[in-house]
Amino acid sequence: MSGRIFGRFPAWLRTLLVGWTTPKHRPVALIVSILVLGVIGSWLFSQLLGGDDDQTWEHIQQTGAWRVGMDPSFPPFDLLDSEGNPMGYDVDLARAIAARWGIQVEIVATGFDGLTDALMAGRIDSVISALPHDPRLTADLSYSSSYFEAGVRLAVIESSPISSVADLAGKRLAVEWGSNGDAEARRLQRDEPLIQRHTFSTPQEALGALLNGEADGILVDGVTLRQMQADGAGIVAVGPALESTPYVIAMPLGATMLQEEINAVLADFVATGFLDTLEIRWFSGGFDQ
Amino acid sequence: MNRIAKRWGHPRASRFIIGLLLLFGATVLYLALSAYLSTVPLGPQQVVTTINPKMGVHTRLTDEAEEWKIKRSLEMVRTMGAPWIVEYFPWAYYEPEPGHFEWNHPDAVINHANRQGLTVIARLGFVPEWARPANTLPLYLDEEHYADFGRFAAAFAARYRGRVSHIILWNEPNLSQEWGFRPVDPEGYVELLKVVYPMIKQANPDVQVLAGALAPTLAPPGSEWGMDDLVYLQRMYDAGARDFFDSLAIHSYGWSFDADDSPDPTVVNFRRAELVREVMLRNGDEGKQAMITESGWNDHPRWTKGVSPGRRIENTIRAYEMAAEWLWLDAIALWAFRYPWDAKSYQDNFTFVGTDFEPKPIYLEVQTYSRGGRPTK
Repeated sequence: MSGRIFGRFPAWLRTLLVGWTTPKHRPVALIVSILVLGVIGSWLFSQLLGGDDDQTWEHIQQTGAWRVGMDPSFPPFDLLDSEGNPMGYDVDLARAIAARWGIQVEIVATGFDGLTDALMAGRIDSVISALPHDPRLTADLSYSSSYFEAGVRLAVIESSPISSVADLAGKRLAVEWGSNGDAEARRLQRDEPLIQRHTFSTPQEALGALLNGEADGILVDGVTLRQMQADGAGIVAVGPALESTPYVIAMPLGATMLQEEINAVLADFVATGFLDTLEIRWFSGGFDQ
Repeated sequence: MNRIAKRWGHPRASRFIIGLLLLFGATVLYLALSAYLSTVPLGPQQVVTTINPKMGVHTRLTDEAEEWKIKRSLEMVRTMGAPWIVEYFPWAYYEPEPGHFEWNHPDAVINHANRQGLTVIARLGFVPEWARPANTLPLYLDEEHYADFGRFAAAFAARYRGRVSHIILWNEPNLSQEWGFRPVDPEGYVELLKVVYPMIKQANPDVQVLAGALAPTLAPPGSEWGMDDLVYLQRMYDAGARDFFDSLAIHSYGWSFDADDSPDPTVVNFRRAELVREVMLRNGDEGKQAMITESGWNDHPRWTKGVSPGRRIENTIRAYEMAAEWLWLDAIALWAFRYPWDAKSYQDNFTFVGTDFEPKPIYLEVQTYSRGGRPTK
């Protein structure tokens, strides 16, 4: 009976199914079984990890459009021009990435708190909106490598002998009162009580104190620092960010191809200096709104 | 040993049984040790030292699973100089089945708060699945289940008699989303008060029941999102709410306005609380006190209703000062002391303390104020 049924099957399948019954065929059946199980296992594993089945990337390729969510309320990264069109560092970054891929960008304006929900709901393909990396959301989203560090930095005048926070004992630190820079200054003071903290109502007043020689350094977030530098203040950041806030591009979990493509382009933008160009363009303070 | 082997009929049986006993003993020891180590001692009774006994904060301990973090949060509230906390106690968490109460978490919060010398204002709400129709959200409570809510609130009030002095019934019922995404219904909310208030007072006559906690909003008439809080409160009085609460809870956010800015019915600012008080007076309720159970400013750089960090500090301290002068106000609790985890949005800029318990500058400045000092700027 079984011979009649299995006789119509290919030899390898016949070996797999009934080979176990004859000692002669058992080694072959074992090898075939391992191969088949290996193939099935690999497929299941790739499915579990999302594999190369990146529907987001496929959708972008099919439509020729990349839907990028953005909250246009955070100059100079995300804002609207006088006619209501999105503009800013992030807009230029999105367009430059899309140009590399030969596709169009469709900017979708969304409130900042709704951006990740819109992404997870499939309304947009990515978020580029001065979005800080959030380790807590890595189970729900994927992130690109960082394209901008917005964390608190120590900045000094270009001729300063201070090269890191280790040189701050006895020095005067200017900060905006109550800001993250102020919080970092207070934290530094706990470890080094000789640091003198001077507070000001605005970051610009703190910068003025530094430039006038009333302070030896300032602690400001990366965005403000970059704006000060673009405005011509002769100051430099020293040491790493005291509290890292890397801006990243977010995409759906499982969008592995999209993630690879974005990271490749960003790496190239770093190597070619394009990100520096964007900073010079958008932190000069002279753009039209 | 031999007797065991003899009884069980096999020479290895004795070793096996001794092994089992050792395993059992080790398990019991491990469990006992784990239980001991996971218990956080309440510590000695503490007292809040402050120049302003009306200072408070809204804590966010509902989702704080680790007891040491609950204790640490409340210690920091005390050392900031705030004697009052408002905390949310969701009904669905503590009565998952009808009549089956699970008090472990609220016990921990309230015991630690009391030990730190804090007075607890408990906000109750959040409907369990068994008390609402299928496919509704936990803020949906229909009249059929008002008595169920009342039984929970009464059980809560009885259990924490002498330890929780105030209970707020519901939150911001003048917003549709807080009313189960139904059209807001002041008369329906008053019916809730009429059912639940007597049940609480019967279980614990000492506890003060707060109504209101209305969201400050300028929602126009007919809005699907909500109702102007001043209009809603008047309709509560019109529906006979006056005899069914002891004190009024007020939400009074400053948004982008300074604390001293004049009250105006067309503006949502801190002194809108005075307009709410005027509604109470117009309805002959001058004998009742009020509490601000949510308030504050936000210093997120990209939130349209935010202010600079310095203005946030100044306005916060000014709000505490003004509250001290308002004789009709018992306490003011600012939103929010600390979140269990970062929201990674503008919401994080409402807090006084980071999720890692790092005090923000505003915490340290308020602490300086509560000790009679001046801001460090």
